[in-house]
Amino acid sequence: MTSDPPLPDGSAAPSEPEAEVVELPSATRATDIALDELELVYAFIYARVGNRADAEDLTQQVALKAFPRLREGAPPSAIRGYLFATARSVLGAFWSTRLGLSTAELHEDLALAVPQGPTSDEPVERAGRILAGLSDNYRRVLELRFLHGYSLKEVAAEMRSTVGAVKVMQLRALRAAAKVDPDA
Amino acid sequence: MPERPENRVERIVSGLLRGRRLKLRAGDAEEKEAITAAARFAAARVGPQRMSPAFRRRLAQTLESAPRGQFMTRRAALVAGIGVAAGALAGGVVGRALEPAPQLSRTGPINPRKGVWTDVGSLADFDEGQGKLVRAGGVSAFVFRRGEGVSAVSAICSHLPCELWWDHDQSLLGCPCHPVWFTSEGKPTSTYSMPSLNRVRARTTTAGRVEVLGT
Repeated sequence: MTSDPPLPDGSAAPSEPEAEVVELPSATRATDIALDELELVYAFIYARVGNRADAEDLTQQVALKAFPRLREGAPPSAIRGYLFATARSVLGAFWSTRLGLSTAELHEDLALAVPQGPTSDEPVERAGRILAGLSDNYRRVLELRFLHGYSLKEVAAEMRSTVGAVKVMQLRALRAAAKVDPDA
Repeated sequence: MPERPENRVERIVSGLLRGRRLKLRAGDAEEKEAITAAARFAAARVGPQRMSPAFRRRLAQTLESAPRGQFMTRRAALVAGIGVAAGALAGGVVGRALEPAPQLSRTGPINPRKGVWTDVGSLADFDEGQGKLVRAGGVSAFVFRRGEGVSAVSAICSHLPCELWWDHDQSLLGCPCHPVWFTSEGKPTSTYSMPSLNRVRARTTTAGRVEVLGT
C-alpha cells in the first residue's frame, strides 16, 4: 500500500475523511445538487486562498474526491457535511505542501463551522474583527492596501512614509493580524 | 542574496491583489502566518464569491461526462500502480508546489528502466487521429495513428495523477480531476500554465503491429 508523499516538514498530510458513501436524494439530479453544494465549498475555499484560480482547482479536487461517494437517498445536510470534510482535507493538503504548515496549525482554521450560504459575510466580518484588534498604523496599512487597493506608493503617500517603510509595516501588520483571535 | 522578508511578502500580496494564483517559492514558508493572513484579507477585499458561470459549466461537464468509475484520486491512482508516470508525478507533487511555476520542461519521453516493447494491437485497430488507450505493463498511454505511423502520449495528466480520457467529439484528451484538456500531441489547451504530457515511445513493425515501450 502506497501512502501520500511526505511533506516538506516531515509531517503527514491531513487525513482524508473515511471512505464512506453518502447518498444523494436523486441520481438524476446528482450533478445539480452537488453543484449547488459546491457553491458553498467554493466560497469557503476562496475565503482562505484569496484567488480564483486556486479556488477553482481546489473546488474541482473536492468535487472529484467526494462525488464518486455520493449516491441516492441521503439528506442534503449529510452531503454538505461530507463535501466540507473533503474540502478541509484538500485545503489542509494545499497549505501543507505549499508552506509546510502542520495539521495542528491548521486545526483551528479548518474546524470552522460550515457556512450556510455562498453570500455569507463571515469572512469579511472576520477580517474586520481582526483589523479592529490591530494598532492604528497596522490597521491603516492593511485597510489601504487590501480593502482600498492602494499601491505601496499610494499607501506611502497617504501615510507620509516611504515605500520601503510601508513594506516593512505591511509585513509586521500581517504577522500581527495572524496572531489576533477574531472570536475572542 | 536571500530575498528580504518584506519583499517576499510584498511579492505575494501584489500577486493576490492582482487576482493571481498563489505562487510560492522555497523559503516562503518562513512567513507562512503573514501569507495566510494576506490570502484572507485579499479574499475579504472582494467579498463573498460564487463560482463563475464558465467554471460551473466546466465542473458540471466534468461531473457528467466522466463515468463515476473513471474518477480517480491520487491515492487510488498510486495504489492501483497505474504507471511509471503516475509514480514520477506523485513524487514531484511536493517539489512542484514550492516552485514559482509549473515545470514546463517535463515533457520528454518516458524511458522505463528495463523497458520492454509491448505489442498493443494491429495498426488496423487504430483509427486515424483518434486516441486509443493502451497499457504496456506499468505504462498507460494514448496511441494515435498517423498514416502508417503512430505517436503516443502518457495517459496520466501532467498536473494531477488522474487517468485521462479521449473525447471523440472534441478530439482532445480530458482530465477527470480538473478542467484541463490536452491535444493529441500532449499540449494543454487550458488558459492556465500547464506542463505538456510526457511522450511515450511507440512504433510500428513491418508486420503491421503497434508496439509501445513499457515495463
